[in-house]
Amino acid sequence: MNEIEELFLEMKDTSELMVDLAYSALLYNSREIAEEVFNLEEMIDKLNAEIQKKSVSSAVKDKNVEKTLVMLRLATCIESIADGAMEIADVVLRDIEPHPILRMSVMESDSMITRVVVDKKSVIVDKTLGKTKLSSKTGMWVIAIRRGEKWFFGPDENTIVKKGDIIIVRGPKESEKELVEIASGRKRKF
Amino acid sequence: MPAVNDKTGGNMKKQKMFEEIEYEPTNVKELLTEMKDVSELITDLAYSAVIFDSKDIAEEVRELEFRMDKLLYQIRLTAMLASRTVEDAEQLSGLLQVASAAENISNAAGDIIKLLDTKIENRPFLPSLLQKADEKIRIINIPESSPMKDKTIQELRIESETGVRIIAIRRRKKWVYDPDDSTTLKENDMLIIRGVDDGYQRLKGFAEGKRGLNNE
Repeated sequence: MNEIEELFLEMKDTSELMVDLAYSALLYNSREIAEEVFNLEEMIDKLNAEIQKKSVSSAVKDKNVEKTLVMLRLATCIESIADGAMEIADVVLRDIEPHPILRMSVMESDSMITRVVVDKKSVIVDKTLGKTKLSSKTGMWVIAIRRGEKWFFGPDENTIVKKGDIIIVRGPKESEKELVEIASGRKRKF
Repeated sequence: MPAVNDKTGGNMKKQKMFEEIEYEPTNVKELLTEMKDVSELITDLAYSAVIFDSKDIAEEVRELEFRMDKLLYQIRLTAMLASRTVEDAEQLSGLLQVASAAENISNAAGDIIKLLDTKIENRPFLPSLLQKADEKIRIINIPESSPMKDKTIQELRIESETGVRIIAIRRRKKWVYDPDDSTTLKENDMLIIRGVDDGYQRLKGFAEGKRGLNNE
C-alpha cells in the first residue's frame, strides 16, 4: 500500500468513527465524547492536507492529473462526512441540554449504540479485541472504551479489554442481550 | 422461476412510504430516526456503487439524497410549529442542526457517486483502495442448494452471528436496498454486504452449504 492510500484509509476510518462517536455523544449527552469528535476533526484536517500535498506532488511527478483529481475529490467527500459528525457533536457541547427526541432517535435507529461494563468474570477480560472476535461473532463494533477516567476512542484489534472497562458498542439490537451476558461473565462461549 | 416478492421490503415499500409522508404530518422522532438510518446506509451504498461500478446503486443513492431533502424539509416545518418558548426554540435548533448534519452526510455520499461520471480509466485504483479497509464491501451469492434460501434475515441472525450487514440484495433484475429483518432470501440472490474478513468467510461458507454459521 502506498503512503497516500494509507493516509486515505486512515481518513475514511476516522470519519466513520467520528459519526459513531457523535451519535454516542448525543445518546449519553456526553461532552467528553463530543470533544473527542472535535479532536478527531483536527486529525482529519491534517490527513487531508497531507493527502493533498502528496497527491499533487505525485501528479506533477507522474503526470497523472486525472487520477489525482479523483483522489482529491473523494478525500473532500470524506471530509464533509467528518464535518457532519462535528455538527452533530456540537449540539452536545452547547449550554442547553439536547432535545430529548435526539436521544430517542438514536435509540430507535437500526444500528443501536449501547454500553456495558466488563465484569472481572467475563471471558473477554485481558484479551485483545481481535482475539475476542466480538465484532464478527456478535455484530457489536466497539467504538470506545472507558477505563476509570481514561477514554480509548476507536480501539483496534490490538486493544486489550480490562475488568471494569465500560465499552461503548454499535451493532444490531438482537445482540444486546448476548453482549450483556458476555460482559457480565454469564456467557463464556459465543 | 419464482416471482420477485415485493412484500419482503425493498423498493415498493419504500416508494409507498415516500407518498405517505407527503400527505401526513409525521412525528419528529420518526423523521429524525429515518434520517440517521439513511445517512448511514447511503454512505455504504455510495462506496458500493464505486466499488462495483454500479449505475443502479448510484441511482438509489440519488433517490435517497432526494428523500433526505424532503425529510429535512418536513422536520423543519414540524419543529417550527412545535416551538412555543425560547427554550423550545433553542433545543429545537440543536435538533435541526443534527438533521441538517445527517443531510450533509448524505450529500457527501451523493458527491462520492459523482466520481462514477469520470472516465473509468481514471479511477482503476478506487475499488481496490476502498477494499483495503477493515470492513470490506463484498458480494455473496445464494446458490440453489443454500441453507440460507427461503429464510428471513431475522431467522438467520446474520448480523449478530457474523457482524455482516446486508446493504442490498439483487434479485434477478431488481434491487432491494437496506433489506429489513423480515426479508426472505431467495435462491440466486446476490447480496452486497459489509463486514470484516472473519464474518464474511463464515457467511460465505454457510451460504454455499459448506459449514454452519457459527462453528469454528
